[in-house]
Amino acid sequence: MVSMSVRARYRFYQKIAEALFRGGQGKRIVSILLLSMAGLILLWVAIVATGAQPLGAVQALLKGSLGSPRAISDTLRETTPLLIAGIAVYLALRAGLFNIGVEGQFTVGACAAAVVALRFPGVVGLFLGCLSGILAGALWAYPAGWIRAYRGGHEVITTIMLNNVAAFLTAALVAGPIKDPTQEGTTTANIADGTKLSHLYNSGPWTINSGLLIGILGAIALGWWLRKTVSGYELRAVGANPTAAATAGIDAKRVMLGAMVVSGAIGGLAGAIQVLAFQHRFYAGISSGYGFDALGVALLAGPAAIGLLPGAFLFGLLAKGSTQLQFMNIPKGITGVVLGVLIIIAAAIRYRKAKAVES
Amino acid sequence: MSFAVEMTRISKRFGDVVALDAVDLHVEQGTIHAVVGENGAGKTTLMKALYGALHTDSGVISIEGQTVTFKSSAQAIQSGVGMVSQHYGIIPDLTCLQNLILGAEGGPFLNLLQAENRAQSLAAKMGFEFDWNRDAAELSPAGAQKLEILKLLWRNSRIMILDEPTAMLSPADGEALFQSLRLLVAEGNTVILVTHRLPEVFGHCSRVTVLRGGKRVAEKMVSETNPSELAELIVGKRLEAPSAYVPNIGEVVLEVSNLDVKGYRGNLAAKGLNFKVRAGEMVGIAGVDGSGQRELFHALIGTAPIQGGQISLLARDATKLSSWDRLQAGMRAIPEDRHAEAVIEEWSLDENAALGLQRMEPFASGRIVHEGARRVASEQISERFHTKHGGIDQPIASLSGGNQQRFVAARALFGEPKLILAFQPARGLDLAATRDVYEGIRSECDQGAGALVVSYDLDELLEHCDRIVVMNRGELFEPKAGEEKDSDVIGRLMVGAE
Repeated sequence: MVSMSVRARYRFYQKIAEALFRGGQGKRIVSILLLSMAGLILLWVAIVATGAQPLGAVQALLKGSLGSPRAISDTLRETTPLLIAGIAVYLALRAGLFNIGVEGQFTVGACAAAVVALRFPGVVGLFLGCLSGILAGALWAYPAGWIRAYRGGHEVITTIMLNNVAAFLTAALVAGPIKDPTQEGTTTANIADGTKLSHLYNSGPWTINSGLLIGILGAIALGWWLRKTVSGYELRAVGANPTAAATAGIDAKRVMLGAMVVSGAIGGLAGAIQVLAFQHRFYAGISSGYGFDALGVALLAGPAAIGLLPGAFLFGLLAKGSTQLQFMNIPKGITGVVLGVLIIIAAAIRYRKAKAVES
Repeated sequence: MSFAVEMTRISKRFGDVVALDAVDLHVEQGTIHAVVGENGAGKTTLMKALYGALHTDSGVISIEGQTVTFKSSAQAIQSGVGMVSQHYGIIPDLTCLQNLILGAEGGPFLNLLQAENRAQSLAAKMGFEFDWNRDAAELSPAGAQKLEILKLLWRNSRIMILDEPTAMLSPADGEALFQSLRLLVAEGNTVILVTHRLPEVFGHCSRVTVLRGGKRVAEKMVSETNPSELAELIVGKRLEAPSAYVPNIGEVVLEVSNLDVKGYRGNLAAKGLNFKVRAGEMVGIAGVDGSGQRELFHALIGTAPIQGGQISLLARDATKLSSWDRLQAGMRAIPEDRHAEAVIEEWSLDENAALGLQRMEPFASGRIVHEGARRVASEQISERFHTKHGGIDQPIASLSGGNQQRFVAARALFGEPKLILAFQPARGLDLAATRDVYEGIRSECDQGAGALVVSYDLDELLEHCDRIVVMNRGELFEPKAGEEKDSDVIGRLMVGAE
């Protein structure tokens, strides 16, 4: 009886929505509203469970991330690596590949960029640093792409393994050969000022780095490439239906390998920019899980690459705001719950199978 | 002589389609009884009804004199009826022994030693040899077939239904299989053999039931009939083909020589194929499902590797060309499996219109997608066979199967094709749309294309094609000159009676 009445109510709202929105959008919009409501309730329960006031928590979160020019600048700084790594995940996702390895590609990219930037000071070092980050990331993704395309080994497994290899290998390097001997901790030396990626805008409390611009332009360019070029079309075809793509004359295996390598290259670039723009050195654990959060950014992005921008900003906002929460004795992990709920909602909406309409 | 199986006036409808229409079947105990007919004649449906895998609308089944109503296959197995379907139920990751006992373990605890002893004695009785602890993945097609038969014996089946058991076997393995079946019937078991192959009927069976269009058209002693009578009973009297259309024959657009293609189970699915398609003609390939048409088609498209031989396209060696190069040269395909091979369901009609043509004019200029021209083209493609849709920006999944097929067929005819490969091009279409699609292919042929059409429906091919070749067990047979559209000759070739 209860389920019947829920269903009836669902139909009722669906009818209203259908009247409000043309076409078959009504059902979709009702589902989105229902899911969002369910998500909010879940969050509320989670915050109450930690013993905090939900409203206060949200206030603190927003104050910490958007409450001052300084806070906004820091939020944008957090947004940058999330955005670029998100582009990397998104590209692979459109080719039907789940690149969980962006974390590792980010790490090797950051390490390579730091080493090269230290060797070549000045603008040359900046340029070569980016390039070496790109190459290191691409190299790190290549085996996973090759094994997937030509041997059928699942990329999720191989990239997770490569993440571990990347983490331990770079940790070993930074503890030994590339460690700055003058420092106590396991870190490289700081790169020269002239090698740093400069700020786009820097006045008073406002600081915005060029890295963010690279990310924004990258997302726009990726969106354009996927829609407007033949190779983008073919990549999406492989991602949506590799058999149909092969029948249409597309070398699906080559496209998969290519997508994985380029995805890795972008992941490596994200790491390089993290070093050249923000950290100015490499140390073990330089990524606070950017590669993993980027999975969420890409999943939230939706059908158009431009959706990466709000997704990355949201993740950046939560990352920055979470520090403020700690002052209120709310566990920082609550933002992880927020993200988890968001991703589940997004996935539930996205992956509803399109129902065939008989005509 | 007592009957092991008596089926009386069995009827079954699927929606508007009458699959079985008051069919009778009488199988004597201790014999091999053949059930023959074309694809869609109702053979498998009738067998599933006997095996309890399908509920009939009406009719009576009795097993060894007892009237039964099976609610499930488990009940049929209880009564001693077992079935090996065309697609073997072997799980490759399990060992042979595990496969054998799966579902009939005889209790919650496994006694593998005891099981192996019994398995060994069953196998020895049949003259089979198995390494019981090897993975079933390593079995050859013949080995898998033998294991399936042992599975029936393991379950104490006395009445065994084998659906196309030799489809995947080499002739020697097929012969060996029949030796085992003879052993089984000599012990009082009964075998019902569903087959397309008349030599098997005449070589090994004592009685034969012929189904056509869901009706039983004959039940005869094999000794009282002959291959040519049986072939005619199977295929039926055809309407004479409409007056011979004289195509405007031009140069060879497709030439296949000594082509060997491996099947998906590792057997040779197409053997030593030789044929030509000329500009202006529409060539039909007749044959029952699984005769190697699918593998040939994929080899021609370039998505399956070939074992040997040559393919040449427009007088140019295309054996090593990629699929794209073949498309570029003017080859177009209406694939068999629309959902998997021809469309991307979540994409719009507009985007699907370019699939397979995406690097060509007008869909692209250079490396850039030409969206304006693509819209114009996708409208044209939709209109050609009257695809009903709610706008070309709608996902193609929102169309019914028939409308998707119209779209896919029209796309294959877009932009001056030179060679059209069509696999069941009228699949899911009504009569009017079927005629439209074939007339569309014909009009491309009139403008200089050649077409190769695979269909399981012989009437469709007789009606529309200029000439028909036949595939049977991976081999291609061309009727003699003057007999290219002779339904009797083609029917006999299809079932191996010639």
